[in-house]
Amino acid sequence: MNRILAFSSRNIKELLRDPLSYIFCLGFPIIMLIIMTVVDQSIPRESGMTVFHINNLCGGIAMFGQTFVMLFTALTVSKDRAGSFLVRMYATPMTSGDFTLGYIIPMLIISGLQLAITFCASLIISLITGIELSIGGMLLAFIVLIPSAVMFIGFGMLFGTLFGEKSAPGLCSIIISLGSFLGSVFFDAENTGGVMLTICKCLPFFYCTKSARSAISLNLGVEEFVIPLLIVCGSAIVITSLAMAVFSTKMKADLS
Amino acid sequence: MKAIETKALTKKYKEKTAVNALDIAVEEGELFALLGVNGAGKTTTIRMLSCLSAPTSGEASVLGHNVASEKSAVKEIIGISPQDTAVAENLTVRENLEFMAKVHSADKTKNAERVEKMIELFGMSEVVNSRAKTLSGGWKRKVSIAMALISEPKVLFLDEPTLGLDVLARRELWKVIRQLKGKITIILTTHYMEEAEELSDRIAIMINGKVAAIGTLPEIEAEAGAQGLENAFVAIAERGVN
Repeated sequence: MNRILAFSSRNIKELLRDPLSYIFCLGFPIIMLIIMTVVDQSIPRESGMTVFHINNLCGGIAMFGQTFVMLFTALTVSKDRAGSFLVRMYATPMTSGDFTLGYIIPMLIISGLQLAITFCASLIISLITGIELSIGGMLLAFIVLIPSAVMFIGFGMLFGTLFGEKSAPGLCSIIISLGSFLGSVFFDAENTGGVMLTICKCLPFFYCTKSARSAISLNLGVEEFVIPLLIVCGSAIVITSLAMAVFSTKMKADLS
Repeated sequence: MKAIETKALTKKYKEKTAVNALDIAVEEGELFALLGVNGAGKTTTIRMLSCLSAPTSGEASVLGHNVASEKSAVKEIIGISPQDTAVAENLTVRENLEFMAKVHSADKTKNAERVEKMIELFGMSEVVNSRAKTLSGGWKRKVSIAMALISEPKVLFLDEPTLGLDVLARRELWKVIRQLKGKITIILTTHYMEEAEELSDRIAIMINGKVAAIGTLPEIEAEAGAQGLENAFVAIAERGVN
């Protein structure tokens, strides 16, 4: 545990001292919330379009923000692997489990900070726009979005382990795009229906947004909340276990 | 007990044999230099001895612990400063030292004492609160070696510690290495003749993965029939090639 905490502490310091972390992980969700709220205000009410209302938007943006935590996880892991820092660490008594947990814990803390900032900004916007937001719902969404954060951190670790400093961010940008478009963040997939909805339902991002939105609106039905949350939890377990296994295999290969 | 002992230690990468049946024995407290040109097998040897690479065949032990079957025990007693400066760039010098201390021990009091000891030993008080990325190459190497020493290892591996440093920074680092001589066993790789000559108790000249000569400087000079390490090295290298 001591080694995990030491490595986590190093990783969180490295992250918090990188200005890009603030811009992408913490600032970007606020900018997106503001821009999308301006878009929402510009859409005529008669259109009946509610996807950009803050009560729908904040869950989606919270999930979208987590995709940038994935990017930073991939960058941190791939950068460490590219240099000789990990070589030095491999010669210490640290195990692959110590390394993976040491990467996951700080990213979860950053993700928690990001969620807190996103929800605080959403609350302010809700007061300005007059669209009601439940604080209880947001607190529940905070917890509901933890498995989703774990899943994105898992994706980041997987890409950072398998690919280099230059290709890992590129692959992450594919997931960021998929997450935003097929996660139903910027359009209402369920009202769109058809092939689009089928594609969205094939990927875990849709369920991340759906469970978060349901939590915010305290709509805790089985189909609206429980099943999507279970799918997200399952995806988080699969992706993170895969990332840990791949890291361990790569570490063994590096030491062979 | 020998600090390091290898028996027919070999490392092959597909067709290439990086280290070929290496037999060396290093006494405790000795500063042993592995001297050779790039690609001679020095770094591969260090990687095998520090459990960073598995031997293809042969055996190696560090203070009696086999590097292949007792990795955990070996990792507890060694420290390594890799060829590239392996420091956490956004952490300060103190934070880098504290981090490495915590990785090896949970004892806060002992760790704090070790950090202060390293700061004093390496004369780092003026840069202790500077982030590693802002340091010069010489300072970074010092931090890297201090990080390797923070766990109070019994065997220290220094892989090309002065590579790329200017003459003043190199001399400064030599001073630090000299201070460590006799206190712990040091295995140093270098391709600088004067460095091996200046610092080591014994030298092994590696050519194409093999030890071409081993001994003290006078022994190597006698074997090569040449005066000075550079001349001896050239004579041995030519003999090895021919």
